[in-house]
Parts: sequence; C-alpha cells; structure tokens
Amino acid sequence: MAGKDNATPSTYSPSPKILKKKRAPVFTDVDWVRPDGRGFHQCRPAYLRTGAVNSASGSAYIEIGNTKVIVSVFGPRESKKAMMYSDIGRLNCNVSYTTFATPTRGQVSDCKEISARLHKALEGAIILDTFPKTTVDVFALVLESGGSDLPVVISCASLALADAGIMLYDLISSVSVSCLGKNIVIDPVSEEESYQEGGLMITSMASRNEITQLAITGEWSTPKLNEAMEVCLAACFKLGEAMRACLKESASASQE
Amino acid sequence: MSAVNVSGDMSSEMEIDAFRRLFPLRFFERHLLESIRPDARPLGKSRDTTLALGAVASADGSALVKIGCTTMLAAVKMEVMTPTTESPDEGCIAIEFHMPPICSPMVRPGRPSEVAPVVSKKLSDTILSSGMINLKDLCLVSGKAAWMAYLDVYCLDADGALFDTALLSAVAAFSHLKIPVVSLNDDGRVVVSEETEGQKLDNEPVNKDKRKLKLSSIPFSLTCILHKNYILADPTAEEESVMDTLLTVVLDSSCQLVSLYKPGGTFLAYDAAVQDCLALTRQRVKELKRILTEAISDMELD
Amino acid sequence: MVGLSIGEKHFIEGGIAQNLRTDGRKRLVYRPIQIETGVIPQANGSARVRMGGTEVIASVKAELGRPSSLQPDKGKVFINVDCSPTAAPIFEGRGGEELSSELSGALQICLLGGKSGAGAGIDLSSLSIVGGKICWDLYIDGLVVSADGNLLDALGAAIKAALSNTAIPKVNVAAGASSDEQPEVDISDEEFLQFDTSAVPVIITLTKVGREYIVDATPEEESHMDSAISISVNRQRNLCGLTKRGSAGLDPSVILDMVSVGKHVSEELMNKLDSEIAAAEAREEE
Repeated sequence: MAGKDNATPSTYSPSPKILKKKRAPVFTDVDWVRPDGRGFHQCRPAYLRTGAVNSASGSAYIEIGNTKVIVSVFGPRESKKAMMYSDIGRLNCNVSYTTFATPTRGQVSDCKEISARLHKALEGAIILDTFPKTTVDVFALVLESGGSDLPVVISCASLALADAGIMLYDLISSVSVSCLGKNIVIDPVSEEESYQEGGLMITSMASRNEITQLAITGEWSTPKLNEAMEVCLAACFKLGEAMRACLKESASASQE
Repeated sequence: MSAVNVSGDMSSEMEIDAFRRLFPLRFFERHLLESIRPDARPLGKSRDTTLALGAVASADGSALVKIGCTTMLAAVKMEVMTPTTESPDEGCIAIEFHMPPICSPMVRPGRPSEVAPVVSKKLSDTILSSGMINLKDLCLVSGKAAWMAYLDVYCLDADGALFDTALLSAVAAFSHLKIPVVSLNDDGRVVVSEETEGQKLDNEPVNKDKRKLKLSSIPFSLTCILHKNYILADPTAEEESVMDTLLTVVLDSSCQLVSLYKPGGTFLAYDAAVQDCLALTRQRVKELKRILTEAISDMELD
Repeated sequence: MVGLSIGEKHFIEGGIAQNLRTDGRKRLVYRPIQIETGVIPQANGSARVRMGGTEVIASVKAELGRPSSLQPDKGKVFINVDCSPTAAPIFEGRGGEELSSELSGALQICLLGGKSGAGAGIDLSSLSIVGGKICWDLYIDGLVVSADGNLLDALGAAIKAALSNTAIPKVNVAAGASSDEQPEVDISDEEFLQFDTSAVPVIITLTKVGREYIVDATPEEESHMDSAISISVNRQRNLCGLTKRGSAGLDPSVILDMVSVGKHVSEELMNKLDSEIAAAEAREEE
C-alpha cells in the first residue's frame, strides 16, 4: 500500500463518500425540492458570451449553473493531407474535460462518445457545401461539469460556429430532461442525473421547428414522452432566443 | 542591402496587413525604431492583467488569469496519499500544464503541443524550488496520511507569455486554496467531515487549524524578448514567433532571484540586457503583487 | 455506401410511396428472421441472427467483478460491437470503427435504460452477489458478419436471443469473512441460473424515405434515408430508448408519429422473436 515510488503514489479523494450516503430515495416521492431549489420546469440561469478565445476563428463560453463550457472553432482550414477530395466541407469535433471538472479527479466520462454525439447534433445544421475541400474544427473544453454537460456543449458549439461566421441553417439549442419518480425535471444537475430513471435530450433548430438529435434512455410511456418533448422544445426555443440575443449584442458591439 | 530597401520602400505602398504578413520581421523592426509596438505598447510595458479567484467550484482552489489575451485557468484539488518512508511528514505537489486544442490553432487533438511539457517542467521546478509551500504543512498524520495537491493549469487562450501567466495563475490558485476539514474514520481512511451544525462529529478533525496554506516568498515572473538592442517585455504570440530570443526572470515577492531562464535563441544576453530585464521584472513584481493582494482581499470581503 | 442511379432512386422511392418495395415487401414488414442459439460453446450464451443478407452474432460472457462505488448493489454490463472486415469492403482497416462505436452506443441507450437502471432490459440488481463486494460483469459482444442493412435491429434481436440462452453459474459465498475483506466465493460447475429476459426490449429502426417510414431497410433503401429513428420497446409497449440517426432534422410531430408506428410494429416482432428463440432453444436441446 505504501507508495514507495515517489512519482506516482496512489491517492484517493476524501470526499465522494458523502455524496452517495445522503439522498437517493428522496426523489421517488411526488413532492420534493430540487438540490438547488428550482421548480421542476425551471432552467438554471444561463450566461452566454461569444469571442472568449481570441486565437480561434470563433468561440463561445456558456455557463449554466455550475456547468461551464468553452468552445473554439477553427477554420475552415486545410483538411488533413491523408483525407480524400471532398466537394463538401468536413466537420471535426472534439470534446475534452479538465481534470478538475468532476468531483473526483480524473473521473471523466467517455470523451469519444460525447465527441461523436456532438458531431451528429451539429452536422445537420451546418451548410457544408459552403466550404468544399476544407475542414471546420470544433473543440470543446468542459471546465466544470455540473450536469447536462452534453446539451450545454452542443449549444455552446453552435454559438461558436455562428461567431466564426460558418453558414448555418439555424442556431442549434439543446436541452435535456430527467425523469425522477413521477416527475419530469428540466436541465438536471449532476446529482439528479445520476439518480434519473430516464433521460431525454433534444437538439433542435428552433425556428425551423426541426429536431436534429434526440436520445431517450429509460422507460417512457406515451403521455410522459409527449410532456417531456413539449417541455424540452419550449426550453430549446427560449435558449435559442437567448443565443440569438447574445450574438446580436456582440455584433452591434463590434460595429461601434 | 537592396532587398531591404525594396521592401522598406514597399512599406509605404502596400497595405499594412499584407506587409505584416509578408515581412513580419521588418514590420516589427519599423515599429521598434519608433519605440512602440503594434499593439501601441511601449517596449517595456506588460499587457493588462486581470485575476479572478474561485472560478471553478469543483476544485478546492482555483484562479483565472488573463494577461492581455492569454488566458489560463488553474485549479488545485487535494487528495490523500500515504507519505514515503524517507519523508513521513511531508505532502506532495503534482503540477501539470495542459494546452487543450481550444487554446490555439497550432494544437490539434491527439497531437499534443511541444511547448506544453516545457512549460509544465519549468512551472513545477519554479514552484517547488522557490520554497513557496512548505511540504510539511501538507502533512495530516505523520507517516500515515498527507495531502497530495494536484495543480492543473489549463491554457484557454494562448497569446504569448505562457509561462508568466501559468505561474501567476498557479500562485493565485494556491492562495485561494481552502483545505477541506478531514478526520480519520474507523478504517483508517481520511474522510471529509461534514459541516453540520449542532451535530457532534463522529471523529475529531485532524486539521482544524490548517485550512489555509501559508505561502512564503511567492514567485513572480516576466518574460522578455531580446532583439538586437531592444528588450520587449511580455511578448504576444506573434512577437514570439517573429523574434526568437526569450529571457525569463523569476523573482520572489522580496525581489530575490529564483531563476533565470534563457533557452538559446539568435541573440546573446549581455550583462546590460540581463540587468535591464531584472529591472523590468522588479517593476512587474510590484504590479503583480498588488493585483494578487487586491484579488485576495476582494475575496475575503465576500 | 451504395451507388444508385437517379432512375433506381426514383424506382425505390416510388415503390415505397405505393407500399410495394423492390423485394416485394410492404413498408412495415420484416425480412424472414432465422435464429440459432448456442453457437459459441465457450460463451455463457450466444446466438446468431440472420435477417435477409444481414448476419450477426452476439455472445454473452459473465465474469466476476467489483461493483462500482456509485451503485454497490448492482452488476455491470458492457456492450461492444465489432464489424468484421468480411461484412463489407468499407470495414477494412479502421473503417468499421465509427460504425462500431455508433452501434454500441445505440445498443447501450436502447438496452441499459436510465442511469439508475430503471427501464433497463437487464435487471442489474440480479447480477449482484455480495453487495459492494462482488457482482457479475456481463460482457455482451456483437459481431457483424455480413452487412445487408438494418444492423441495429439484428444486433438487438441477437442480444435478446443470446441473453435467453445465457446460463450463469450459481455462486456460493463462503460465510464468515470479515466486513472489510473480499469474501471468498465458489463457482458451481453444475448449477446454473437462467436469465430472465422477459423485460429485454426489441429494437425497431424506422427509416424515413420521402414521407413514408419503412422497417428493416436494405442498404439500397438506407442510402436513401434522410433520417432514421431506432426505438426500443418492451412488452408493456413502453419506450425504453430512442436514438436518431442521419443528419436531417425532423419535425417533432413526425417523431411522435414514428414512435407510435414503431410501437405498433414492435408487438409483432416481439412475438415472432419469442417463438423463433423458443424454437431455436428446442432445436439446440435435441
């Protein structure tokens, strides 16, 4: 047990024990208070900003509750040499987490899968024929993971793409809901996510009324599904409006 | 010589942006002649520096630092380890510097940047050798348990002077660090004591009076570019790419020299140049000290 | 994947619009399904499923492991899919990796339910042996031997069949071990526990071509798709998982309509699979 090797002693975090001891069964009742005291259908306050990274062609920072995400967009730039000729543009996505993003150090969920899901959510909205032969790189870094990470990453990426001047059919906004007991809660925090019985994530182009990505886990009855989708789409629309306002503000600021 | 003249003449005919891209060195030298830099700074002036403590809630201590456009986020996370037999009452600090792909167009995923390990090593050497942190302060139970402080510095936007920004953010993260109160449980493992009022704690906390690290002689640094007779303090990424001789001076808070680093380059550093750099750094240390103290007192007010 | 001329495309699309597909099927009819169980003797359970030209193999392997600290009283399930280079020319080298990870991701969403395990096809708490100490880890591996469209549904069916073919050895825990030690266990060679697969959902992929939806699409039809939705439905006709493929956006009402059509189809498929699995098990025992 004693770490003789000075370079890599085995360490453990003293904290995660308390997390699992405290609640868990509380959610099953009809009435309970969410960990941050929100209403069931109330989203966390969002802070959006474009132009966070100067060296990128476009970038955005979104902070929703404790979830903090920064996305940089590079390009369109030359595709890798090994790639074959393509008369439409390519999209390359990569998501990574900081080592301190999660309560336990280095406990990072699968970045490859998240990157693939980000790619799938975005590709439907980008007009790829506007940059043939080249690649647009979308890189995301999750500074702090506070729940609903993937939806925040997706919304932030779409904001960064718009900031970079990449042609889009529409802004993409993404919101998830969790199903806990009899209730549907929107924009869940990590704690709620880890106890959820079902989850639904919608990625939508609000002004076209189209869904580009939808993932459902857990057991859902039809009325519940309808309710969840309705709540989610309404929130997507609202978030989309906030994103549009943020872009307008930064555009008018740069004109002055 | 004629080539110089030709392009020199062209500077008045070409568009500035094109000239900047085609003849970057000449572009800079034209500015240096007028003792000014393209971003309107005098040669010896550093960029605006801002510091925010407590940027990340999931870490025990964190800080966000911006020097000009260069942005870094540093965070400290405390974990428990068994100390080595050689030094049973000392903790450990592990320092890592990351350059994720978001920070610069040069970094691509899967292909880590070459600069990152260099800065990482320099950062780790500087902090450990400066004696800023007494490793004995990290001890919990002698021979049994000690703190391992993981410091991770993430570069969010790379625009020159990476080491300076990284060091400032690291120092700030350590001064924001609040060590959790822990106690030994029945299995001999160290656990966080829950801060519930009125309820008696099961086990006596072992580090009640050691919530903050005492930082003595905090290191601050300034990187300068040496180019011909000019000294440019706090270079941007563009300046670093055009002129390649860098000199980094690290002084502690009482202006004692911690380290001086000159990784080669085309120009040699003469006595006078080194003296000038030292003088610039002394000035800069005062400025950085003020910024750090202000940030800390702001935090304590909240 | 498949190069089609404009004429062929019109032909396929026109056929689908008239409810008569190129191979004579109607829109919501599956190709004949053949199931064989117990094809890999080393695995705890295995099955081969053929659906037209598509052939997939699924195997289940159980190993003793440690439960995660977040869910101490539950076992773990890992799903992984490989695409054999023999299945299609594009799978050579690393070509199949992207599809493999997409399929494994979709299967995880469709079969494993929410994070707390609710709605999961596999009851994770039945895999626990000693809470917090020992549990069964199920490794479910899918292999695509021949790709002729609709891989996800075939894999889902194969996993369902493999799970009902799975026998997990009975484990006896040595009593008297102290609380902080890893208890000793004895794996029985003779007694096996059958796995309860009544809750395992079926996966149905609806491909949208033009304004109509079709099930069990062939590669020619898949190359036509704007988007497809894969849903997993259990016996109670509740939705257990959903993923969307293809880049084109869909109207929310269209998605809900597709879900209800999928649920309708699911009942038939579920019954068909059950009888096929039962027949396959009977054949194996002979």
